[in-house]
Amino acid sequence: MAVAHATPRGYLERPRPSGLADVIDVILDKGLVIDAYVRVSLIGIEILTIDARIVVASVDTYLRFAEAVGRLDIAQDDQAAGLPDLMESITSGGAESKTKGALEGAKEKLFGDDDDDSDDDDEKDGSSRRRSSSRSGSSRSRSGSSSSRGSNGRSSRSRKES
Amino acid sequence: MTPAGSLVYVYGVLPAEEAASASETGVDGRAVRTITQEGLAALVSDVHGDALAAAREVRAHWRVLEEASKHATVLPVRFGTVMEGEDHVRRELLEHDADRLGSLLRELAGRVQLSLKGDYDEDALLRDVVARSPSIAALRDRVRDTPAAAGYYDRIQLGEMVAAEVARRHEEDERSALAHLQPLAVRARAEPPSSNAQAFNLAFLVERDGVEDFGRAVAALGDQVAERIRIRYVGPLPPYSFTDIERSAGGEAWV
Repeated sequence: MAVAHATPRGYLERPRPSGLADVIDVILDKGLVIDAYVRVSLIGIEILTIDARIVVASVDTYLRFAEAVGRLDIAQDDQAAGLPDLMESITSGGAESKTKGALEGAKEKLFGDDDDDSDDDDEKDGSSRRRSSSRSGSSRSRSGSSSSRGSNGRSSRSRKES
Repeated sequence: MTPAGSLVYVYGVLPAEEAASASETGVDGRAVRTITQEGLAALVSDVHGDALAAAREVRAHWRVLEEASKHATVLPVRFGTVMEGEDHVRRELLEHDADRLGSLLRELAGRVQLSLKGDYDEDALLRDVVARSPSIAALRDRVRDTPAAAGYYDRIQLGEMVAAEVARRHEEDERSALAHLQPLAVRARAEPPSSNAQAFNLAFLVERDGVEDFGRAVAALGDQVAERIRIRYVGPLPPYSFTDIERSAGGEAWV
């Protein structure tokens, strides 16, 4: 595989491990659907999954900027850092503040406006700082919508291919 | 109503002999465990009747399944599924559906899902649409030279023509990607594109042993379309998109 990676197109030869943003659609729309009469709920799935899509997409953007900023720190330590690196970080930084606005809005919508749930975005550390006071009224009020989509929607968005 | 505390969140089902102790923390920050019955195991964790914050919990759901599928064939259960206690999982899911779940698991054993999404560079796509269609180009020129109000219907017609052409290309690109890769997959499934700029959104079920060959074919496809389409190739995933395979006696349910 090392050889394959050396080729310019090598990046496509091996699938990338998934980030949540890559698979959010299959997680929310696919998977075994347990008959409605034996399950309690799909936790207000219709409304919640829409919000989950928005937040995860924003978080993913946020993460990419964080990564770009992280790279900058290394580059600055290394005195060889060039203008392109610097430019990248400046533009990233500018865009970050814009994205963050949207992100905070979305998070607020879902979790309430506490600020302690930045672990949400952290995919690598097996994040254990999970539960906190963030279970607030705003998310609770969104539950309880019908779960009908779960039972009848499973194949409506996909089609068979020949 | 159900007493709070007895509810269980269900992540997925796997063969009992492949069930290992789960290390990931589940939704609501609770420990993941397995419930076994009939040679099947359900991955579950306790949950309280409270609403879950979806964006946070979807991540836990994803991690638990990623982790479990490293060592086992796992049938992912739809996000957000909660059942009324351990006993229900045992009887109503594992026992009641033992045949169906068992045969699905056998069918999926040793196979993984690979996801392939293709995105157009939208500007390049639109430029090309205009360049290759004289009638669209002519109409575009006319619209451009007409005041907005006067050209209203022309603009609608122009947009319609472009949309039709984009849809045609999407179909064509999806078809050719499938034709290229399907022979290397056990199953393939095309999802509707999530936006106009998406060329295709495909899921493949591939033998674990065949992932390398499949990757070479993906790279070759990537070369073919490099000027127009950027491919995102992700996996291996638990077989999310293939848990609803209809079983039919002795053969493929669909081809």
